[in-house]
Amino acid sequence: MNNLLRMVAVLLVLLMGVTASQAQSVRPPGNAVNLDDGIEPGPPNTLGDLSDSDFWRNYRGGDPNDPQQIIGPRPDGVVLTTTGQHWRALRENYIRKYAGWAPLIVIGILAVFYVLIGPMRIKSGRSGKTLSRFNLTQRVSHWFMAAVFILLGISGLIILLGRPLIAPFLGKEVNSIMTSAAMQGHNLFGPLFIVALVWMFIKFVRGNFFQWVDLKWIFKLGGFFGGHVSSHEFNFGEKSWFWMVTIVGTVISVTGVLLLFPWLVEDLRILQLSTILHGLGAVGLISVLFGHIYVGTIGMEGSLDSMLKGEVDEHWAKEHHDLWYEKVTGKSASETAKEEEPS
Amino acid sequence: MSFLEFVEGPLFLVASAIFLLGVVWRVGGIILIGRKKDISPPKGSAAMGFLKGNLRHFIPRGIFAKRTALHLIAGYGFHLALLVLVLFAAPHIAFIQDRLVNVNLPEMPRWGFILTAEISFAGLIMLWVRRISDPVMRLISDWDDHIGSWLTFLVMLTGCLALQESHGFLRAQHMLVVDVWLIYFPFSRLMHAFTFFLSRGNSGATYGRKGINL
Amino acid sequence: MTANSEIAVEKFLEHTDAEAASFFEACVHCGECAEACQFYLSTGDPKYTPTYKLRPMERAYKRDKAPFSGLKKALGLAPSPVTEEELREWEPLVYDSCNMCARCTLVCPMGIDIAGTIRKMREGYAAAGFVPEGLQRSAEFVKKTGSPMGVTAKALKAQIKHQEDAVGIKIEIDKKGADYMAIFSSMEIMGYPEVLGAYAKLFKRAGLTWTISSVAYEATNVGVQIGSAPMAKEILQRVVDAAEALEVKHVISPECGHAYGAIRWAGPNMMGRQFKFEVVHIIELLDQLRREGKIPVGKKDTRRMTLHDPCQIIRRGGLLKEPRSLLNDSCANFTEMKGAGITNFCCGGGGGVSANPRAEELKTAAFSRKVEQLNGVQDLEAVVVPCGNCRAVFEDGLDEYDLDLEIIGLSELVAETLAEEDETGA
Ligand code: HEM
Ligand code: SF4
Ligand code: SF4
Repeated sequence: MNNLLRMVAVLLVLLMGVTASQAQSVRPPGNAVNLDDGIEPGPPNTLGDLSDSDFWRNYRGGDPNDPQQIIGPRPDGVVLTTTGQHWRALRENYIRKYAGWAPLIVIGILAVFYVLIGPMRIKSGRSGKTLSRFNLTQRVSHWFMAAVFILLGISGLIILLGRPLIAPFLGKEVNSIMTSAAMQGHNLFGPLFIVALVWMFIKFVRGNFFQWVDLKWIFKLGGFFGGHVSSHEFNFGEKSWFWMVTIVGTVISVTGVLLLFPWLVEDLRILQLSTILHGLGAVGLISVLFGHIYVGTIGMEGSLDSMLKGEVDEHWAKEHHDLWYEKVTGKSASETAKEEEPS
Repeated sequence: MSFLEFVEGPLFLVASAIFLLGVVWRVGGIILIGRKKDISPPKGSAAMGFLKGNLRHFIPRGIFAKRTALHLIAGYGFHLALLVLVLFAAPHIAFIQDRLVNVNLPEMPRWGFILTAEISFAGLIMLWVRRISDPVMRLISDWDDHIGSWLTFLVMLTGCLALQESHGFLRAQHMLVVDVWLIYFPFSRLMHAFTFFLSRGNSGATYGRKGINL
Repeated sequence: MTANSEIAVEKFLEHTDAEAASFFEACVHCGECAEACQFYLSTGDPKYTPTYKLRPMERAYKRDKAPFSGLKKALGLAPSPVTEEELREWEPLVYDSCNMCARCTLVCPMGIDIAGTIRKMREGYAAAGFVPEGLQRSAEFVKKTGSPMGVTAKALKAQIKHQEDAVGIKIEIDKKGADYMAIFSSMEIMGYPEVLGAYAKLFKRAGLTWTISSVAYEATNVGVQIGSAPMAKEILQRVVDAAEALEVKHVISPECGHAYGAIRWAGPNMMGRQFKFEVVHIIELLDQLRREGKIPVGKKDTRRMTLHDPCQIIRRGGLLKEPRSLLNDSCANFTEMKGAGITNFCCGGGGGVSANPRAEELKTAAFSRKVEQLNGVQDLEAVVVPCGNCRAVFEDGLDEYDLDLEIIGLSELVAETLAEEDETGA
């Protein structure tokens, strides 16, 4: 565990190195938040010959790029931890600045895909006969998760992006109110997300393990650009989404709990790391979610039935989950398709 | 008068009056429709049946409880937590004492308040998502069901958003939704909070006369 | 709105008393009731959700009778009027898919009595003439012959004669001043006449005087099934008149579910007065005689048996314990099926469903629940079915599902296991 943290830290520091060099060459845009706000200049030449920077460097005890100092055991004599600066820089300059784009880009791609290639229809039309796919508990756990996730997503984005997106347009007062509200909502719904995650995991994990046909799915790009892809109950796309929700969701949950109960850890740097991972994970999930919503609704005819009625059309099942169809009906997907054609 | 004062003062009074009168009118109206007196020789007491019917239906029957466990948990969780929330949360007690009656209600600790809120939210969300994701529920639900759920959800949500208690606006927003909820209540299916005792009681009485408690 | 639907709506409103109104008002659309209804359970079709079956009547009430309906109408918020098309669409739901078993009431958090309300709703349907053809025909038949199967007095007498010969006891017809007058369902008279012999044997032993009327022997009330109060009253009138003319103290309602409800609970209300006699159900009477030691048990039946609970006798009739105590006495090997008693499933053919040929398929589907229950009892040999109508449904159903079980009536079982005179030293 400690090693893992260390690795993440190294990654972070590398990132920060990049940050530092770029920060100098990039001029802040007009509405950017001034990072130097409120930071007092260091004391003047108090140590005679030493320059201010030398003074600070000593004061904080060594090389800022040494990962040991950021996350490892605190070297003796270090009075000041400066990781807060790096954390702040990362959050303000990167996450806050670019996070909003990720979902927008996904939406853009989906829109282009929809216009150019269009939704996947049930090729043989609806059969009118249905197979049950998800039971009521599965459906409720899914929508419970969806509801909680959306509430958290909206409130989280307000907290993260209120300063750059709300304050400049609606004013600081409005931003303050909205952030206060969002913060309370976010904190309240957070624990429900953990409940939803565990529940959903239990209800959906069966059928979501990797199977060899999934390789074909990957090679055929999921059939989104044409061609038939075989799959069991869940195809590789769905499985990826499931595991992404599970793993990233766990990260978000753990880091969220730490942020909600900061006294659980002693080292401030863990909390700093938590906000970063929490934000990145959430933005990642939110972005992919749009893809999921697309495929679940307008992107693929007949998909939503499984989550609204628990039943899917037999033709849908044959076309998208042929191996599952064969398993639950005991019929061959390709043969019955032929049989039915003349009629 | 500030917006907050308005929604907590006059509007709240008007809404409460509509609520009270509406409830009385509706319940009274149902009772006044009247019931023909049953003259078949009774085998049990209708009055006891009325009472027993009311109590019996609080407890799920074993054979059905398993099939409908999720619904029971969500339903009971939501309703009980909401009741506790309304009566024993510190800000509510303060409001009740301030505006309504000077009763001394025991105050929940903050963590208890938050926990009941979470249970209540979880229950309500489950109830509503169940409503939209099941063919039976989709068939029998109407606008009133959805409006009722959403209004109640908004009451709870705005309350939760105002938890920091540092912005009058958020508090006013909560109160506004509460007022709307109070006005909507007597005309809608939210009335089930009062009509349940009539329906349980009526069939309890009918069957009670026959010497059986359903 | 056509004339017919106007009549229906008018009747809907007339029959929406405070009880039905409280049901329409209280239903929270929670869908629990679907989980109890065997038509939904066996088809999975959401339209069989109990509360949904009441929709037109509920709409009529909410439009024209409910508190605030005037206000809502003025604001354009009231439901639209009930149309003939809608009524016709619902007709199969109202007649074919509700056996008035009241199982849904058990699970309903609001305790709503769908069965009783369907009964009231059928009043509107019957008055407007929206009735399934099969039921309509049998109603006309009853009007002519007094019996849905056309059992004539002559046929009855022939059956009585047979049974007298079989058990060697005389059965008195039209005996004035007898303590008890028995009525039967035509199903019993034609299909299971042994019950006549069983009565003779049991009552002789208990020392009761009893009789059968040659003008009013039919207990089945098709008026109740269709939901026509005037017709139900007419049918009932015959029995009441005959019983009061013979000056009997009691009328014995047969092993027939809805006949019991019709005469015992609905009867006085339909006639608008109390009867000069008391109505007892045969199971109630036998249980009482047994407790009084007048019909002691002899050799017990050792077959492995279970009991079907006819809804109108048990859940809606209130005779929950009586059949059980009789069975426990008479059988050595009685086992309850899963869900027995107050939560038991209907046979699937109650509430007029079995008298309605159009509902045949649905009835058979609904019986699958019963099959499940029966299959759940290991090494089952026989099932006691204390209702003539259920019995006929069982016969069809067991046949359909290829189940080899003996079906027995409760009175016959009690008669068969009656102690010999000398066994008790009498
Ligand atoms: C709000 C819009 C959403 C829509 C319209 C939607 C739609 C769907 C549909 C139709 C399916 C079933 C696909 C199939 O039949 O195989 C599904 C499955 C699933 N959804 Fe959603 N969903 C939404 C939100 C969410 C959210 C917010 C999450 C989690 C954060 C989520 C997680 C899942 C998971 C894990 C599955 C199971 C698929 C698998 O196990 O591979 N969904 N969704
Ligand atoms: S009374 Fe019985 S058959 Fe009728 S709706 Fe209720 S459960 Fe179904
Ligand atoms: S169970 Fe009762 S309250 Fe729920 S939908 Fe059915 S009738 Fe209405």
